Amino acid sequence: MTRSHILFLNVSGIAVSLVLWEIAGRIVGPSLLAAPSVVIGTFLDLLFQGDMLRELFGSLRQMLVGFGLACIIGMPLGALMGRIRLVDALFHPWVSMVVVTSVAALAPLFILIFGTGFEFRVAIVFVASFGYIVLTAFHGARGIDPKIVDVARSFAVGPFESYRQVILPALFPYLITGARLGLIHAIRAMVMAEMFVLVGYGGLIFQSGQELSTAPLISYLVSLMAVSILANSVLGWTGRRLAPWYDSKMSR
Amino acid sequence: MNAKLELRNLSKSFPRGKADPIHVVGDFSLHIKNLEFLAVLGPSGCGKSTLLRLIDGLLPADHGHILMDGRDITNVTGGEGRGMVFQSFDLFPWRSTLKNVEFGLEAQGVARAEREDIARHYINLVGLSGFEASYPHELSGGMQQRVGFARALAIKPEVLLMDEPFGALDVQTRDILQNELLDIWEKEQKTVLFVTHSIEEAIYLADRIAVISPRPAKVDHMIEVPFERPRHEAIKSDPKFLEMRQEIWQILKSGVQV
Ligand SMILES: Nc1ncnc2c1ncn2[C@@H]1O[C@H](COP(=O)(O)OP(=O)(O)O)[C@@H](O)[C@H]1O
Ligand SMILES: [Mg+2]
Repeated sequence: MTRSHILFLNVSGIAVSLVLWEIAGRIVGPSLLAAPSVVIGTFLDLLFQGDMLRELFGSLRQMLVGFGLACIIGMPLGALMGRIRLVDALFHPWVSMVVVTSVAALAPLFILIFGTGFEFRVAIVFVASFGYIVLTAFHGARGIDPKIVDVARSFAVGPFESYRQVILPALFPYLITGARLGLIHAIRAMVMAEMFVLVGYGGLIFQSGQELSTAPLISYLVSLMAVSILANSVLGWTGRRLAPWYDSKMSR
Repeated sequence: MNAKLELRNLSKSFPRGKADPIHVVGDFSLHIKNLEFLAVLGPSGCGKSTLLRLIDGLLPADHGHILMDGRDITNVTGGEGRGMVFQSFDLFPWRSTLKNVEFGLEAQGVARAEREDIARHYINLVGLSGFEASYPHELSGGMQQRVGFARALAIKPEVLLMDEPFGALDVQTRDILQNELLDIWEKEQKTVLFVTHSIEEAIYLADRIAVISPRPAKVDHMIEVPFERPRHEAIKSDPKFLEMRQEIWQILKSGVQV
């Protein structure tokens, strides 16, 4: 299949779903499922009225703090775990626990510890993305070809310099992939956490569930999806631009 | 004794869990003369790569010594006048040709402008002018190995260690690169320790051939190659060349049966 074939099928799939949605929406009515023709009007209203985007970007800013912390701590930790057995033995059980635990289950505990403000949201987002970032860096570091490390040793490059010159560049595509996985989970966790404490974008979504029409709710979901997909693509594009040699290894 | 590089009773075993360790290199001694081209010839799996890794200090030796101009460099990792060319090229995929060749110079702390001049000189020497900005994935296997040569030569090693550098290349490319290696060796005045499993390659390139018997690897025969230099493809069909090839094959065969 060529690119244009794939694009055609993508677009057709979306068009068919929209038509089915429209039919279903007209049958059950807007209080259960607003049809796309109704949603589009509400969406544009919300967009120009300004609250939707302001809340969304406000939430995303807080999310970025938790996600940034997860990257700053998680990437070097994962890389060290992949290269040094002792570090791995110390941290792996904790990382595994964090990855398998549902963040929603942690939310009540975190509310007790951190309250319902900024710290709570940052902590939830951190925990949601941290494990993915660490484990991707870990597997990347484990998989580095020992021959390439030997080349550096053969040129009498010391361990610290070898880390900077060989391990980190070899790891780069994995760090990008980990960041993309982590970002998606961070955004999900952000919305979930905000629904618990009824603030920010998650709070907006939760409250719109009480309204008579589902059109605002669907509009909020569409904006959220659009922003997530955009953020994910920007990271992927950045990775491919900075590391063209790894294009084949990068997940799309 | 004017050995450039001397290997004295080198030994290396690898543990194998509960089984007895495999003794890969055993009591290996060898003198490599200054500016000589010495081939180490042995079948696959006989421990040639292990031997080179010991010499380059990438693996610690169990016993024995490595002396460079009489100076003990046993278990010193890399550097110390040694430059290594690897079988699978092992270039850094995130570095351009120029940056790959500069790698060893960066490690030595050579200033940027000087580094670049030296790198360009060797890129030119291996015939890769115009490809300075290319990345390894944009180069053919033969070109990648030329970068591998240039990277090793750039640090001006006294002894060039080469681990089957043409083993991963097609026959035509290999023949071309063999000739270029001889040219470079004559221009650059280097001592070369060249590991190969190809009898023909060893005879064509080397002054002397150390034929290795396996398990553990040690020098079984030392053979002088009588051909004049500079050498040309024509000697490969010389009756003396064919006779030598036959003779060495007999030695290797008896080793393989052990
Ligand atoms: N790190 C290692 N651990 C265990 N065994 C090894 C290791 N390196 C090499 N060997 C063994 O040593 C033998 C010789 O290997 P090698 O030096 O690569 O041979 P060659 O280069 O002549 O083909 C092989 O049997 C191989 O399995
Ligand atoms: Mg080998």
